[in-house]
Amino acid sequence: MGLVDRGRLPAPLTKLFNLGRSYSMWVYQWGLACCAIEMGAAFGSPRYDVMRLGVIPLPASPRQADLVVVSGTVTDKMAPAVKRLYEQMPEPKYVISMGSCANCGGPYWDSYSVTKGVDQIIPVDVYVPGCPPRPEALLEGVVLLQQRIKNEDMAARWRGEGFTPLQRAESEPIVVGGGPIE
Amino acid sequence: MTMLSERQQLSYIAAQAADARLNVELETEGMTLNIGPQHPATHGTLRIIARLDGEQVVWAEPVAGYMHRGYEKLTEVRTYPQVTALINRIDWLGSFANEVPFILAAEQLMEVEAPPRAQHIRTILFELSRIANVSLFLGDLGVQMGAVTPVFMAFRDREYVLNLIEGATGGRFHPNFDRIGGLKDDLPKGWIDETRQVMKKLRNFCDEIEDLLFGNEIFQSRTRGIGVIPAEVAKEYGLSGANLRASGVDWDLRRDQKLPLAYDKVDFRVWTHPDGDSWARCWIRLQEVREATKIVDQLIETIPAGPVMAKVPRIIKVPEGEAWVSTENPLGEMGYYVVSKGDLGPFRVKIRSASFNNISITPWVLKGVYVPDIITILASLYFILGDIDR
Amino acid sequence: MVERLRADLGDDVLDVHLMSEVDVWVRVSVDAWRRAGQALRDQGFDYFCFLSAIDWMPSPYGRGEDDPSAEPAEDDPSASEIRQGYAGGESRFQLLARVNDIRRHVAVTLKADLVPDADGVMTAPSWIAVHAGANWHERETHEMFGIHFDGHPDLRNMYLPGDFEGFPLRKDFPLLARMVKPWPGIVDVEPMPAAADGGDES
Repeated sequence: MGLVDRGRLPAPLTKLFNLGRSYSMWVYQWGLACCAIEMGAAFGSPRYDVMRLGVIPLPASPRQADLVVVSGTVTDKMAPAVKRLYEQMPEPKYVISMGSCANCGGPYWDSYSVTKGVDQIIPVDVYVPGCPPRPEALLEGVVLLQQRIKNEDMAARWRGEGFTPLQRAESEPIVVGGGPIE
Repeated sequence: MTMLSERQQLSYIAAQAADARLNVELETEGMTLNIGPQHPATHGTLRIIARLDGEQVVWAEPVAGYMHRGYEKLTEVRTYPQVTALINRIDWLGSFANEVPFILAAEQLMEVEAPPRAQHIRTILFELSRIANVSLFLGDLGVQMGAVTPVFMAFRDREYVLNLIEGATGGRFHPNFDRIGGLKDDLPKGWIDETRQVMKKLRNFCDEIEDLLFGNEIFQSRTRGIGVIPAEVAKEYGLSGANLRASGVDWDLRRDQKLPLAYDKVDFRVWTHPDGDSWARCWIRLQEVREATKIVDQLIETIPAGPVMAKVPRIIKVPEGEAWVSTENPLGEMGYYVVSKGDLGPFRVKIRSASFNNISITPWVLKGVYVPDIITILASLYFILGDIDR
Repeated sequence: MVERLRADLGDDVLDVHLMSEVDVWVRVSVDAWRRAGQALRDQGFDYFCFLSAIDWMPSPYGRGEDDPSAEPAEDDPSASEIRQGYAGGESRFQLLARVNDIRRHVAVTLKADLVPDADGVMTAPSWIAVHAGANWHERETHEMFGIHFDGHPDLRNMYLPGDFEGFPLRKDFPLLARMVKPWPGIVDVEPMPAAADGGDES
């Protein structure tokens, strides 16, 4: 509509856009290891039913996705592929790092072939700890991300200022289990 | 069976000659198709490079290593109880089954034996992890051929099994429940009744899958006669588990090996199939889930009383020696070659995982097949990336 | 079985270790590696289980649980002594392979000493002609230990990126993360009960 890319957007319109964006997230499942199965249980199983949160887990390619869930061990051999995946996604894009391996290397912290955390390659918005996290934990991560998106200043992001919150003056990464859901 | 493989080879050669003529006339070029490293059909991060000629595969090569985590090196710097926590994550769908052979190898070196109750419960959990593992395979099989419904059913019924494993061990995915000399805990109250109910549900699930998938014409035409592996080749490549039995080799470590597990107390059938094609491999796995539910049913009725932990020293030091123990895991033969130097941790552990051997046959079996069959053959071979790369 | 193998291979069978009802270990000379595989296969051991290698040198880095900032301990000559396992051996590296006879339900573990040549390269004959499945196992062993297999068509790296240096499973390959940072477990470790009065049962 030309409003966002002019770099200025009225606050009520931003809120409306953010509401729309946060409840129509297309999530790309970058399943790598054990966590991929729990991610599959969260996104693909009837018990957890992620679509009720407004998350659509079936994009055909990363080029259609708003959010990627990196779940599992990222090895040094895999790292270039993860980086390319992130570069293929259109802005604005978000990353959830699921599981200890993707967060920091996890049980393979001393391995010679494992990247110690996916945040060394791409920026991460939400960390979901656990080995592997339960599907509920991943869903909580998605909910926390939605809250963050609702609070985001889109125009500032377009100007290239990164994540700038509308109200609160904090932009630390979210860790699931770090506090209560508002 | 060798006849078929020869026919396969001959048809490949004939196709090659025809294509060579075509190439001369039309100057067509071959094409290289890259599948992966992350592709829904590869159960993780296997990458397959296939050289195509028209729609036929001239050669195909899997590129592993996207999930290599260096287990064999890491086990050298861990103590025995720490290794147990680590090796849960090799085959992440049937985690408990990974612990058992390692613990048995350590017990063999220490010359302790778990009490009968612990052996019994170990076997129950072993079979439950087999059900959790292979039921997901049965659901996933549909996805590989374009049917999405079975995977929802698989996830639905798999949750019941995961609840059971969680109820007994506290871990949904990675129980880390096995100890040298026994188990961490006894079974909780009411667990046996619930298991009985869940096993009924799982048998219903098997019937549903059999009706939905195995009776389906599309499924049959895409798997029958595709990806035939003769018994000789299967043994040469070291295939194991259902892949070997689907080629007509009657070998099951649960029955053919004397291990301190409770398999000799139950009555079960080892299914084999003479065809060796994709259909046979899928069918054998379906039967194995059924047999596993029957094994669990028999075992929960006869759990002996007694402790679940033998007397072992508080600090586990395994005496010097070498031991090899392998068990019939959901994916096939999984074994650990443990070399100990009398230290707190193992000196060297060679992990023989089933998928590594099972997938090393792919260059052979994918030669000359058509592109859509790559997916069905890989699905029917059934591998888990952590089990290939370790 | 051992007798037949001796008859087939003659003096190349160096040592045999037999544990009744458990397992059989046979050490052959490396020149006879392929012949041993073939002879066993002809005897009915046609199921290929695995192929790997062992580095018998104790790790110079210990178990990596020490604080790297601490002073290095006094050199203990017995700590760097190389002791081989069952069926003996003379060299630092040993090949290890296992084949099964699935009709008789017996299996044998084969070992062979590997001696490096003048350039420090260890070479063993490849088993591909015997068991086609040895292909990937030999690639893995080559990558992890730097052992060259004669007659193997394709010894590319299997797991690691192409520019990786070193052979991870050799004992002198350091785990850099452990060098940089001590094992976090040593921070909150309980004082261990003395091992001398071990046998205190829990």
